[in-house]
Amino acid sequence: MIFITGPLYSGKRTFAQKLLGCTPEELNRRAVQDVQDLARDCPNLEKLTEELSCREIVIAVETGGGVVPVDPAERAAREAAGRLACLLAERAETVVRVFCGLPTVLKGELP
Amino acid sequence: MITLVIGGAASGKSEYAERLIMKSAARPRIYLATMEPFGAEGRRRIEKHRAMRAAKDFQTLERYTGLINAEVPAGSAVLLECLGNLCANERYAPNGAGPDRAADAIRNGIFHLAAQCRDLVIVSNEVCSGGRDYAGDTLEYMQLLAFLHRRLAVQADNVCEVVCGLPVYHKGGEPQ
Repeated sequence: MIFITGPLYSGKRTFAQKLLGCTPEELNRRAVQDVQDLARDCPNLEKLTEELSCREIVIAVETGGGVVPVDPAERAAREAAGRLACLLAERAETVVRVFCGLPTVLKGELP
Repeated sequence: MITLVIGGAASGKSEYAERLIMKSAARPRIYLATMEPFGAEGRRRIEKHRAMRAAKDFQTLERYTGLINAEVPAGSAVLLECLGNLCANERYAPNGAGPDRAADAIRNGIFHLAAQCRDLVIVSNEVCSGGRDYAGDTLEYMQLLAFLHRRLAVQADNVCEVVCGLPVYHKGGEPQ
């Protein structure tokens, strides 16, 4: 599994399409996107990680880099998203962070 | 040696910073905690970090403000966690330095620590990547913390951002 992360609108999907040499429609089939949303209220992040690890490409938006939210539920959701990203990075063969459209390989290597 | 470790919420920055301290040959290991335990969530967070340090031979020193008065053993390895809390405490707490003096108090306090120990790892919170829809007190807090990041990065030997548990060095590299 290749885990791709980065801020909002940083070019994660464009990079993934280039990597797979595929169309946006095909990417929708081959990749699971916005997994940070799946972490919210997830009772078992390890199990979720396990399930996502079977996929070819997993894409998450980095959400933890802003001011700590006042709302406890928002705070918890952000924590869960961050924790899920750490778990996915641990499991992934390759981790890429895309920043201003520029990919940096943080772990492993690109196929 | 000063290493600045910055990351967003649940980015794995604490675990990584602890790994750096465990790698350091300096002793004793001091954990300088800056977070005042407010409420159940605060206590849970502190418990989580305590469990992480259990059996790792850390001495814990709690200091919410006034690092300039903190004494640590000569030649020690100090993990300061975290700068974000320290900023909030110095700026807002009744016994803090207040808005005008917080930045200087924190910088002087950190250099006072760095002069005593051998390795200092400072954990901090990235708070400026969530857009610019902030004003007033919150914006001033963000500016204070960002200012300290920039200033400390000048003095630090290594500056590291932690992304999903993986270190990205912007200055220097992982201390050997």
